[in-house]
Amino acid sequence: MPRYLVHFAQFHEDFRLAELEALAQLENIPLKYEPDAYSNDNPFLLVELPSNEDARRLVQRAILVKEICEYWGSGDSYDSLFAHLKTTPERWDDFKTCSFKFLVKAFGGTRTIKEQIKIINTFSFLAFEGPIDLKNPDEVFIVYEDYGNDPILQKALTNPNEIHFGRLIAYSNRDVVQTYNLKKREYLGNTSMDAELSLVMANQALARPGTITYDPFVGTGSFLLTCAHFGAFTMGSDIDGRQIRGARGETDGIKTNIKQYGLDKLILDTLVFDISRNPWRQNNSGGTSTRGGPWFDAIVTDPPYGVRAGAKRLGRKTGLNPELSFVEVEGTVNHLRSDYYPPTVPYEMSEVLTDLLEFAARHLVVGGRLVYWLPTVVDEYSSDDVPLHPCLELKANSEQNFGSWSRRLITMEKSRDWENLTGATIAAAQVSDETAKSTPPVQLGHYNFREKYFSKFDSNSGSSTPNEAVIPAEPTS
Amino acid sequence: MRLLTHNMLQCHVKSCNDPALNFPLQFQEVELEQIEAEENEALLLNLVGKIDWPALVQTTSELGITGLPPTKPDVVKNDPALMKRLHEILLETNVAQGKMVCRGCGHSYPIKDGIPNMLLAEHEI
Ligand SMILES: C[S@@+](CC[C@H](N)C(=O)[O-])C[C@H]1O[C@@H](n2cnc3c(N)ncnc32)[C@H](O)[C@@H]1O
Ligand SMILES: [Zn+2]
Repeated sequence: MPRYLVHFAQFHEDFRLAELEALAQLENIPLKYEPDAYSNDNPFLLVELPSNEDARRLVQRAILVKEICEYWGSGDSYDSLFAHLKTTPERWDDFKTCSFKFLVKAFGGTRTIKEQIKIINTFSFLAFEGPIDLKNPDEVFIVYEDYGNDPILQKALTNPNEIHFGRLIAYSNRDVVQTYNLKKREYLGNTSMDAELSLVMANQALARPGTITYDPFVGTGSFLLTCAHFGAFTMGSDIDGRQIRGARGETDGIKTNIKQYGLDKLILDTLVFDISRNPWRQNNSGGTSTRGGPWFDAIVTDPPYGVRAGAKRLGRKTGLNPELSFVEVEGTVNHLRSDYYPPTVPYEMSEVLTDLLEFAARHLVVGGRLVYWLPTVVDEYSSDDVPLHPCLELKANSEQNFGSWSRRLITMEKSRDWENLTGATIAAAQVSDETAKSTPPVQLGHYNFREKYFSKFDSNSGSSTPNEAVIPAEPTS
Repeated sequence: MRLLTHNMLQCHVKSCNDPALNFPLQFQEVELEQIEAEENEALLLNLVGKIDWPALVQTTSELGITGLPPTKPDVVKNDPALMKRLHEILLETNVAQGKMVCRGCGHSYPIKDGIPNMLLAEHEI
């Protein structure tokens, strides 16, 4: 099979391979590579793909890839690269007469324009006769110099450790990050997720035309936008209607962003409710039901962790007191007042996760994906901290590190019908059913994350904690 | 809120669990609005398999919307006029203002600027 060189962005490294794998699955392309050939320290990966067309499709949505090339060869010096290239001279023939240009890209090093031209001239043995066209060439050839990722070593290097050469097949979709840049977005909250990661999440979720993506903690709607960008219909809900509407009246809220990006044909609805008490009709297939199948093809979300980030659910600390619904306040029965807001209690992180996984297991179609953020304390993290569910298979776990804490993007795929499960199987899982709720689960690394965070790592600035949002006490819808 | 979404929701007041009554919620005092939606045949066919047809028929007739056969046709695919009507009804017909009232417990869920508030009161959880 033909070989291609994937050139990744050297950024969000831990997410790159997961994204590439997700896109291969989405496009149904057999992607092959040596697992050892990939390293977070290096932006290059040699892969095997059936065709140029597949290579183009593989990266057309990619955010963390820069471009993909038809691979022509490598070497630890220019001489060894040239020797490698000269083993396949028949390859050159197809490009004898087309217009072309060369690019020199140095990873971990720099080359002046003058040096670049010098390098390009050493490729004259390829004997391309076509015109050089810097603006609109038929073909682009790229020389990749790799000086390695060690800043101390790099300085000493005058020559790259390795050089790769290839013919450009396609640029990725990385430019779209600018389109969704938060700086240009009209409605923002302090929980809005940056554009790049929001787009990566849409890729992890396989968001695509003809499917429905749902965000149960929708906030200001970052993922509604990026998933709809890739053609998916999207919906979201939040316990706090002000997040959805914004505070500035008519020209605020998620609807403003929907207009700004022209996504009103795809973003279907936003609703206000507590996801732990949600009104979605469970719509399982099988049985005698005439209604077939769960609603959602993907769930993409950044759950609230910690009270200050708005993690709460309906309830009352001192125990529910239903009578309080009916007392008269200013002449009206309490719960019928237009500004009635039910009491809430803190929503512990382990409960948030239990509910989220169980919700996904019930409401995703088989093959549908759950993509969500999980904060962890770096020193205490072990892979057991990632909650499991018998219906959900872990597909990817990518870390974004902030020093003492991290957040991890978890991707799970529903592998079996929820209805086919027996109670016993569910109870056996780490997190899932009522039993797990009443008896506290194993002390996961994320359990009481916030308390740990504040007791151990409080930097007295209080900034840059996970999804920090200061929500005033009494939201209204 | 689009009529598709309405078909996906039921009353979720804790004690309100008679499936004959807690779904579909009844629209009252509604203001309707058409908002264009992307046409996608595969999705629409998929949704036809998932939605509760009788509930959709009941709801549309309560709203005075016509054009749906009372029972779900076996094959929708070969009926372009019906497909078009379904698209308009499910994906493009929005409730901008109004409320959804439960036929079981009477809970009234308000809809403001297209956004339903489905929070429950303390005695309902
Ligand atoms: C981290 S924010 C999500 C931010 C969102 N991704 C955005 O782009 O703005 C978490 C959200 O969860 C909401 N939330 C907290 N508890 C909830 C609950 N029980 N049910 C639904 N939403 C809840 C909060 O109001 C907050 O908007
Ligand atoms: Zn009810």
